[in-house]
Amino acid sequence: MDFGFTREQLMFKKEVIRFARKEIVPRVQEHDLRGEFDVASFRKLGEFGILGLHFPESLGGGGADVVTTVLAGEALGEAGVDGGLTLAYGAHSFLCADTIFRHGTEDQRRCYIPKLASGEWIGCMGLSEPDAGSDVASMRTTAERRGDTYVLNGTKMWITNGPIADVAVVYAKTDPAQQHAGISAFIVEKGTPGFSAGPPLLKMGVRTSKTSELIFRDCVLPAANLLGKEGEGFLYAMQTVEWDRSALLAPFVGVTTYLLKKCSDYAKGRVQFGKPIGRFQAIKHKLADIRIFGEAARALVYRIAWCKDQGRPLNHLEAAVAKLFVGDWSLAVTNDAVTLHGGYGYTHEFDVERIFRDTRLAPIGGGTSEIQKMIISRLM
Amino acid sequence: MNFDFTTEDRALFEAVRQAAAGREGLPELLPALAYTGYLNPELSGTTLMGAMEALASLDPALFLGVEMSARLLGRALARWGSPAQRARWGAPLAQGTWIGALALSEQGMNVDNEPLATQARREGDGVRLEGAKSYVVNAPVADWIGVVGRLEDRPALFMVARDAPGLTVEAALRTLGTDGLPIAGLTLAAVRLPAAQVVLLTDDHLEVLRLWENQVLIAAALGMQAAALAQARDYAKAHRTGGRPIIAYQEVGFKLAEMLTLHQTSQLYAYRAAWAADRNAKEAQGLTWCAKVFCTEAAERVAGEALRILGGAGYQSGGAAEQAYRSAKYPQIAGTSTEIARVKIGDEALGYLN
Ligand SMILES: Cc1cc2nc3c(=O)[nH]c(=O)nc-3n(C[C@H](O)[C@H](O)[C@H](O)COP(=O)(O)OP(=O)(O)OC[C@H]3O[C@@H](n4cnc5c(N)ncnc54)[C@H](O)[C@@H]3O)c2cc1C
Ligand SMILES: Cc1cc2nc3c(=O)[nH]c(=O)nc-3n(C[C@H](O)[C@H](O)[C@H](O)COP(=O)(O)OP(=O)(O)OC[C@H]3O[C@@H](n4cnc5c(N)ncnc54)[C@H](O)[C@@H]3O)c2cc1C
Repeated sequence: MDFGFTREQLMFKKEVIRFARKEIVPRVQEHDLRGEFDVASFRKLGEFGILGLHFPESLGGGGADVVTTVLAGEALGEAGVDGGLTLAYGAHSFLCADTIFRHGTEDQRRCYIPKLASGEWIGCMGLSEPDAGSDVASMRTTAERRGDTYVLNGTKMWITNGPIADVAVVYAKTDPAQQHAGISAFIVEKGTPGFSAGPPLLKMGVRTSKTSELIFRDCVLPAANLLGKEGEGFLYAMQTVEWDRSALLAPFVGVTTYLLKKCSDYAKGRVQFGKPIGRFQAIKHKLADIRIFGEAARALVYRIAWCKDQGRPLNHLEAAVAKLFVGDWSLAVTNDAVTLHGGYGYTHEFDVERIFRDTRLAPIGGGTSEIQKMIISRLM
Repeated sequence: MNFDFTTEDRALFEAVRQAAAGREGLPELLPALAYTGYLNPELSGTTLMGAMEALASLDPALFLGVEMSARLLGRALARWGSPAQRARWGAPLAQGTWIGALALSEQGMNVDNEPLATQARREGDGVRLEGAKSYVVNAPVADWIGVVGRLEDRPALFMVARDAPGLTVEAALRTLGTDGLPIAGLTLAAVRLPAAQVVLLTDDHLEVLRLWENQVLIAAALGMQAAALAQARDYAKAHRTGGRPIIAYQEVGFKLAEMLTLHQTSQLYAYRAAWAADRNAKEAQGLTWCAKVFCTEAAERVAGEALRILGGAGYQSGGAAEQAYRSAKYPQIAGTSTEIARVKIGDEALGYLN
């Protein structure tokens, strides 16, 4: 066994942290307060090479392995980048772009991947629906084949980057009589007649990511916009789980390191009863719990990444374990971080309050904790 | 990076399981384990942690007896003893012919590792040792007890024979869990030892001993988790109510999912801390405290949940989950206690640790 990173990986991580601290973090609080997507920061992620890190260089990517890609996500969290931007990045690069890369034709790859890797275009992925979240196979959006076209009808819900996306990967039923086997994937560009996005939803956290409905009313797509094969859509959606349990969880690991530093610094400076509160054991206890969570989460997340680098099929049990652990345990830790800051922690003055709100998504998005428990208990 | 054990690692784990199967006492078990290479003092890192986990999963109490003897005392002698001391004690401990005990901790924990109260003074060609230790695993059955104390302000390991004049081993304590593990307090009143029975140590050595002890307790916690989880899982799949196996009910199945999550997370924690210990002792110390807090608290939770799933069947004495539940307090209290560990992890984050 070897839990170490290579020198190059560690140097790259440092570079990402330095870049993010300088170019992105200074504007995070302001954008969160206003609930605005920071498009300039997003583009900078593209320029720096993060958005397309794992794609081949021939398509404008960085040619990085999975562990390095996940490390970039951890670095963003560690630098203090907010959960909204890292979610926007995750949905864009992994749920949208990677699905096109993996299942698209050569033409589709060449058409979309370079633009998505650079950040010129923004991508999103529409799977969930108002009445089909956890039970996603019961989706009602349909794609009816008519000659050389597909006609889409239905509504997608809670779609990250929905209102700002240039291109969407959308799942719809080509065979409504079937459950999983009736689902197919499509590429839908902004401006396609019959396709629109709803207004941004107001959210408690990850406020700098824009979330909305995607609405399809007799939206006519050329048959060439089918992604992969008819009836395999559910499989493709499930394949993004590998990224969801590694790259999308990685920022939470990084955030823990960030919090530990923030909280320690605060505890050393804040004096009560004549001494820094860091001298009280109850405060040390909270700091310890933050570290204990972070180290545990790190190993779980990189196990998924490393296995993917080895070309192994996803171990669904291990993936669900990682998601369940990070989802459920991160809440207590961010909660403690707010308490440790006392009244200040409750204000927008200190970003622990935002981190607490951002993290609340962890046990919901990408498959709730209950669904993870369902998967694990079935696989036991 | 590599999250896999090697083929040789796995072969060792299997050999350990086979050697331990059906063997109940240390005199029988230790030589059988020695034959597999398990007691080799050179064994370390993730290989050692995986092997310890394999043994602890079979019987956490017996495992602790093995470790206190061959690993803690045996490895200390193998690393820090003179050639003569290695030959005299290290070899028989590694071969499993002698049973050893290590008396390190003293009454009353402390965060700052205050000097040990057990003290020796030079007297003639040897030393004269005075002190007391409260909870010493194997003390009632050990051939040799390694007592850690100070000699003229320097830490030292004193090798005291079980029948040495002045050594009193109290009656074995009755304990909450770890059934069958002999534990007793001891007092040392003017115990005279020749210089050949003194191994001089440094404060760094004491830190290493504490790290080893914590690693052993982490492995014990993994073993308790594994045993309790396996019993609960098998029962939940086999036991039916309302026409379904109870694992099909979310109240049961989801508990098992949480238990498995705690167990897998604990395993990775333990392996990673063990891996770090082979590379950078300073960094490993903090990670080992983290792993110990997590794994030992998880052991109690996993065992507790297992008992709920097992219903009345689990409440009867003798089951793996029931034993794990009673034993799970041990690794939290012993070594660097959960409380002290959290304080130290916090101190490390704050830069208060020197
Ligand atoms: C900020 C945000 C961003 C998102 N981004 C995207 C995106 O980009 N693309 C996308 O497709 N989706 C996205 N989602 C949707 C997300 O994946 C779903 O919200 C999630 O899968 C849960 O579905 P739901 O909200 O319908 O909850 P429901 O499925 O209605 O669940 C409600 C509650 O019931 C529980 N529950 C459900 N079924 C069971 C069961 N069988 N047993 C026990 N408990 C059960 C759930 O765990 C939950 O607690 C996003 C959501 C949010 C909040
Ligand atoms: C079954 C068993 C077997 C053992 N086997 C061995 C062995 O083989 N060899 C060996 O050397 N030792 C052994 N020990 C000893 C063990 O490692 C501890 O040293 C000992 O149990 C702690 O001392 P105490 O019981 O007096 O607890 P105390 O120090 O009195 O602690 C009581 C409680 O207060 C907490 N506490 C104490 N001080 C602080 C502080 N400053 N800040 C915060 N919290 C604090 C503790 O965590 C604990 O919860 C064993 C212990 C047990 C229970």
